[in-house]
Amino acid sequence: MTDKDDHVGKPMGVGRRQFLKVAGLTTGGVLAAPAILKLTSVASAADRTNITFASAKFFGKRTVAEMVDVFNQSQSRILVRYDELPPPSSSTEVHQGLVQRLAKKDGSPDVFTQDVVWIAEFAGAGWALPLDEYVSADEAGAYFPGVLAACKWQGKLTALPWYVDSGMLYYRKDLVSKAPETWDELVAAATDLMKAGKAKIGFSWQAKQAEVLICDLVEFVTSNGGSILGDDGKTVHIADDAAIEAVQFMYDTIEKYKISPPDVRSWDEEPSRTPFTGGDVAFLRNWSYVYSICQDKAASSVVDKVGVVPLPHFANGKSAACLGGYQYGVNASTKNRDASVEFLKWLSSPETQLLFATELGLAPSRPAVFDSAELGKAQPFMQTLKPVFVGATARPVTPKYSQVSLALQSAVSKAVTNGNVADALKDAKAKLEGIVGA
Amino acid sequence: MTTLPSAGLTAGNRRSKRLTQRSRAERWAPLLFLLPAVLTLITVSVYPVLDGMRLSLRNTMLSTQEDDFVGLANYVRLTGDPQFWSAWQHTMLFTAASTLLETVIGMAMALVLYETFKGRGWVRAAMLVPWAIPTVVTSKMFGWLFDGQHGVVNWLLRQAGLIDGYVNWYGDSQTALLTIIIADVWKTTSFMALLLLAGLQTVPHSLVEAARIDGAGSWQCFWSIRLPLLFTTLLIAGMFRALDAFRIFDLVYVLTGGGPADSTEVLSTLSYKVLFSGLDFGYGSALSAAMFITEAIIALGFGLFIVRRMRRDNG
Repeated sequence: MTDKDDHVGKPMGVGRRQFLKVAGLTTGGVLAAPAILKLTSVASAADRTNITFASAKFFGKRTVAEMVDVFNQSQSRILVRYDELPPPSSSTEVHQGLVQRLAKKDGSPDVFTQDVVWIAEFAGAGWALPLDEYVSADEAGAYFPGVLAACKWQGKLTALPWYVDSGMLYYRKDLVSKAPETWDELVAAATDLMKAGKAKIGFSWQAKQAEVLICDLVEFVTSNGGSILGDDGKTVHIADDAAIEAVQFMYDTIEKYKISPPDVRSWDEEPSRTPFTGGDVAFLRNWSYVYSICQDKAASSVVDKVGVVPLPHFANGKSAACLGGYQYGVNASTKNRDASVEFLKWLSSPETQLLFATELGLAPSRPAVFDSAELGKAQPFMQTLKPVFVGATARPVTPKYSQVSLALQSAVSKAVTNGNVADALKDAKAKLEGIVGA
Repeated sequence: MTTLPSAGLTAGNRRSKRLTQRSRAERWAPLLFLLPAVLTLITVSVYPVLDGMRLSLRNTMLSTQEDDFVGLANYVRLTGDPQFWSAWQHTMLFTAASTLLETVIGMAMALVLYETFKGRGWVRAAMLVPWAIPTVVTSKMFGWLFDGQHGVVNWLLRQAGLIDGYVNWYGDSQTALLTIIIADVWKTTSFMALLLLAGLQTVPHSLVEAARIDGAGSWQCFWSIRLPLLFTTLLIAGMFRALDAFRIFDLVYVLTGGGPADSTEVLSTLSYKVLFSGLDFGYGSALSAAMFITEAIIALGFGLFIVRRMRRDNG
């Protein structure tokens, strides 16, 4: 660096051509320096097995990159390089990034993280390594059954659970004494609060033509005893009575009961959250991340006024929460299978899950970690969510999930906008049968 | 080209050989200089287009690893796909409306900026600011401006007594596309104005002066002199704008994601979803090919007009 300063200081004394030559060389050297430095540090670790880990970007008190460093320092056989993808809020871009990497089939990244809805797709494409021979039945039994089930494709375990999230109902403790258990109760409570002028918006949810609409759809439909696809992943139930009734209710919250503003049709997670933490909303359907924002004095006017319960259900159904969260997978064409599996198991171990929970706020997928005293001390709220997570419902499981989701987004958006629910769902059924039908 | 093969030649022969080699070199040199450009074009433009066409005849699906030749099946499916046709209509509507509005308003802006007034340089520079802002930022900005709950547009319109209740601009299938057109017009009109301003400056001032002396008013000067002479520029600028508007992606992607109820789904966002979310590369390529064909037709239409116009102007 000092070299460069010398030359730059006296360009006039040197010939122009010579100056350019020297300047060019120095700049080149400076630019190459980091690469050279990196090379030497890699060289000193040449005896370690190098693998790459591609993950969506998460951060809390610490980041995923720092977690990878914890692993790298904990042993001296494997060196993990972290390949950062966009945050999970840009789910489409994370998906695209992973597809581009995995479709090359060159073994990179060795280990990756995936949204729960891509597991079947990546397994169907042959990109995810089946993990049954590395995970014993005992080990598998230590996870939430719902999450573990979502990690399987055609009976084979092709992913290992990382963290769990699901939809839940936020309500204003200061406005209602008891959280509603059925949708009817929610409508009644919301209507009263709006009439009394205590809340501008009764119920905030997400109807933007996007993935989140399908999450909300799964919750409404399942809580009426319906489903989108059958267990075989091939029969389509979206136009059954239970589903039609549930989607009709989604429309009615806006147009009949008027407890949700028409704006929900363009709201995804954040736009639906802001009026709630602003104090205008009585009930909100959202993910677990909202709670810490509610308790943040700088961003919220409802600190200590918010309660969280499982979502309501229809009279003849049970509460259902859409299962979210990211899970781990190993690239089927990895060239370092043993090292990858070792890193995978470390990632999904109770200790690491606890670390992710306390440092990044990601809820563990192991009930044992959930019940641990350490978690209760660091994340008391997270511990109270266990009942919500236990019953989480997976979205339709099929390798063509993305296509199914796009078709549903279009149809359900039409249904909640125009109100022709039965027609829209009948069209959706025909379309889905074309996609997943046997 | 600096090293010429010369082994095994006699001295006399070498001289004439060198001459023919030189003339050959002169003949090949231009082609050689063109080679990098041609190769670049082939790799980044011709090959992808042809490969896209090839893919559109297959059922390539990454998630199931299917990859067979299916002939025109994807195109048959396309013609019967209501989602494609509605996206096609939205795209055409958006292209026509935004190009037309941008041309008319851009023309007015260009006429104002052509006149001399104090601070004209500043205004000309400031006019380009909307065009220089990244579209994603524009989208977010219009998201806030047109917000259904707290948007300043709603507030202003209500203060002015033009609306009774707040309009849910991009959350209502009646107004969502309109909102996107407004955002695009705000952003790109200045670019149009700049092109037309350049065109205006080529109109000989003497013609306008002569007309003024003959007693023509400002409107007559514009309508009978400037506009006819500006027509070719207008067509070229319009073609640029139309082809660009046809590929609209970022405004829609950020502001509405194609919703509500598919009311803002355009061809670019639809093919992006089919290709990169659905991983349906066969059908997605057919969609892109349909886009390509429509764009080619638009370009051809404008092109014919422009050529005819130019012939008439020159002849």
